[in-house]
Amino acid sequence: MLILSFVVGFSALAVTAQGPIPNIADHRLDFTVADIKGDSIKLSSLKGKVLILDFWASWCGPCRFSNKHLVKLYNKYKDKGLEILSVSLDEEVNDWKKAVTKDKITWVQGIDRGGWDALAAIKWQVDALPSSFVVDKNGDVVAINLEKEDLEKKIKELLGL
Amino acid sequence: MKKCILSFLIMVTCIAGYSQFSKATLQASGLTCAMCSKAVKVALEKVSFVKEVKVNIRQQEYSIAFKENSNTDFDELKKAVEDAGFSVASLKITGSFSAVDVEKDKHMKLDGKNFHFVNSNTQVLNGEKTFTIVDKDFLSAKEYKKYSAATKLECIKTGKAGECCVKDGIHSEERVYHVII
Repeated sequence: MLILSFVVGFSALAVTAQGPIPNIADHRLDFTVADIKGDSIKLSSLKGKVLILDFWASWCGPCRFSNKHLVKLYNKYKDKGLEILSVSLDEEVNDWKKAVTKDKITWVQGIDRGGWDALAAIKWQVDALPSSFVVDKNGDVVAINLEKEDLEKKIKELLGL
Repeated sequence: MKKCILSFLIMVTCIAGYSQFSKATLQASGLTCAMCSKAVKVALEKVSFVKEVKVNIRQQEYSIAFKENSNTDFDELKKAVEDAGFSVASLKITGSFSAVDVEKDKHMKLDGKNFHFVNSNTQVLNGEKTFTIVDKDFLSAKEYKKYSAATKLECIKTGKAGECCVKDGIHSEERVYHVII
């Protein structure tokens, strides 16, 4: 089922220069978003790290719930090389900032205002929130929408723990 | 000849009152967060008479603009939401009206569709007005119960005109939308 949804989810992204696996260095997947200070973050600049790319929004209840798990996971593995890039599709910057503070998120936070029409969401074919992608050190997308134990297992594996 | 047709149209319009629906706001609900999925927006955009759908997060609703002079069918909006895996929690339709006489429990044709005003006082509609559809599955079961108790007419249960209005030229099988103003 997971493999199937992976294939379906990436059918349009599949033709990359690197082969059938989508890579964050591919310009068709790369994007730049503003972080909480207003500085730019480029997705491809995070290549080389074990990365979770997480799409969410402050108004999305399931996303806020998922943040609780991500906070624990990040605190446990950040010193071992885990990086997270969360991209909010919030249209209201203040709603986003409040949620980041409330959920105690300390990793890299970007905002791509525009809801479903946000460029990053379109490039990654995000049609539901939360949506997350696990990226290995080569920049390859190796899993999508893993949760809790499954996510932790994958992260440990990629970090070589 | 053209003038004749034109004046004929104007005359008919004047007699019948003018009405045209232009937009709607819709709320969807389901077991999971309806706004967290793009499915409802995509489904509504595919409806033939829909021009544009905007997601309004603050109000938790979809703003739907209709194509001009299109044949609107509100059951199609409901079907789109249901096919996307959700249900309609609220549907408000807005249109322009000119000299439309409204009366409680009276069936009347507006913009090619039959309407039954469940709660409204006798009044004349002019300008932009918004109705809320209170038919079954267009709002929560609890709210539907409240409105269906407000009229003695059977049609609110079936959504069909029934025998009540055959004399007014409305066939018993015709769809009737029940609305409140």
